[in-house]
Amino acid sequence: MVRFLIPFVAVVLFLLEPEFALFSPVAFGEQTYILVPRFLILYLIFISIYYSRKRACLYGLVFGLLYDVFYIDIIGLYSFLYPLVCFIAGGTVRFIHQHLSVTTILSVVLVALMEIVLYYFFYFIQFTTIPVSVFLSNRLLPTIIANLLFLIMLGWAFKILINARVLQRAQDNS
Amino acid sequence: MPQFSNKKLILLLVGTIFLVALISFSLRDRQNASLPEQFIKDTVGFAQSLVAKPANYITGIFNDINSLLNTYEENQRLKMRLEDFAVLQAEVNTLQSENKSLQELVDKQDSLREYDPLKATVIARNPDQWEEKIILNKGSSHGVKLNMAVMTANGLIGKISLVTPFTSEVELLHSNNPNNRVSAIIQGKKEDVFGLLEGYDVERNELILKRIDSNFKINEGEKVVTSGLGGIFPKGILIGEVTEVTTDDYGLTKMAYVKPAADFSMVEDVVIAKRTAVTVDGSDGTGTNEDLTNGTKNETTNEGE
Repeated sequence: MVRFLIPFVAVVLFLLEPEFALFSPVAFGEQTYILVPRFLILYLIFISIYYSRKRACLYGLVFGLLYDVFYIDIIGLYSFLYPLVCFIAGGTVRFIHQHLSVTTILSVVLVALMEIVLYYFFYFIQFTTIPVSVFLSNRLLPTIIANLLFLIMLGWAFKILINARVLQRAQDNS
Repeated sequence: MPQFSNKKLILLLVGTIFLVALISFSLRDRQNASLPEQFIKDTVGFAQSLVAKPANYITGIFNDINSLLNTYEENQRLKMRLEDFAVLQAEVNTLQSENKSLQELVDKQDSLREYDPLKATVIARNPDQWEEKIILNKGSSHGVKLNMAVMTANGLIGKISLVTPFTSEVELLHSNNPNNRVSAIIQGKKEDVFGLLEGYDVERNELILKRIDSNFKINEGEKVVTSGLGGIFPKGILIGEVTEVTTDDYGLTKMAYVKPAADFSMVEDVVIAKRTAVTVDGSDGTGTNEDLTNGTKNETTNEGE
């Protein structure tokens, strides 16, 4: 049961992202802020840290490809970035204490880095012309805050789910 | 330091080359989807539409609560407009019947104005919003074609940029695509003025209407509608309202800022306008930057609408 729950949650998060994107852009006074929901990659980072780096990279590849084909129409962008982020996240396990708050902050930092890479990519292919300062204030900061809120609300649930799976696998092996 | 063996290094190199090739390949042709792409899009689109239904329902409840709070104010405002509306309705009726009889008189059958409306529901919005795109639940099997106009009850929001059998993508008007042009008219008091809607001012959140003949006088608050002369869009879909008029970068023509009538966030139900008159690939279509001058290639190709 738990075995199938992990990919199922990933699928649900994948499908929920665009629904939350419908709320954006948020107009607040004179400024408009763009919130980018990054639920799936946050979840995959959790899997990578608490469960299995290999699994996370595989999920990252599959969902990244779906993301590319369905939304972006540039194949190879997210299907490269998602596994890369999972790979880096898995690599930090040896150096960083695995407390929930530390993982939360690490995940958000990684997502922020991914946003920056994406900004430079889209800037490079001229899909966007906004200057760096506007990107930082109107896009990156709201995105970080929104995703941090999401993780604070649901990070513990991710951890419980993944721990249950790890426990189950340990029992299977013994 | 991690040890890189030769084998890993080669794998990494090949991977990078493959990646760059894949990205550039898919960047080149984004108007058509290949067969596996179509399959994935339709499958994900189906799953997405299942999720979209409850999500739309929930947002609908929020909207209802929101409109309930503003009921009194809105009622006041609407009552004021209702009297004008009755007069306007009578006027429109007479004009319509007159127009019809006149058209019969001159034996004119198809009008640029006419279109078959096709209702569609938004099932997703591109979550990473670098490109402003929404995805609809109607595709080529329902008769959707590339470059058709898409609008909400309030006004034009974009055009179809990609079609698969059961889904279609809409490029919103304020996406940062230089090829995204719409032929438009400013409805002045005395005469209509032509212009081309191209570009979007990020800071002002307004559309930019360029190439307006500087001999004409344009006032703020005048309505901007599609002209139908771009070849694909029907005529007379509301785009927005002029907020400011300035001179173009080169000082030869005027340009105007247009506040869009439709709200681009929280779009749920849209109408795809299928023009009944013959369509031509013009400025509304993909032909904007193509050489339409039959080989006499020169710099003015871009302006050759």
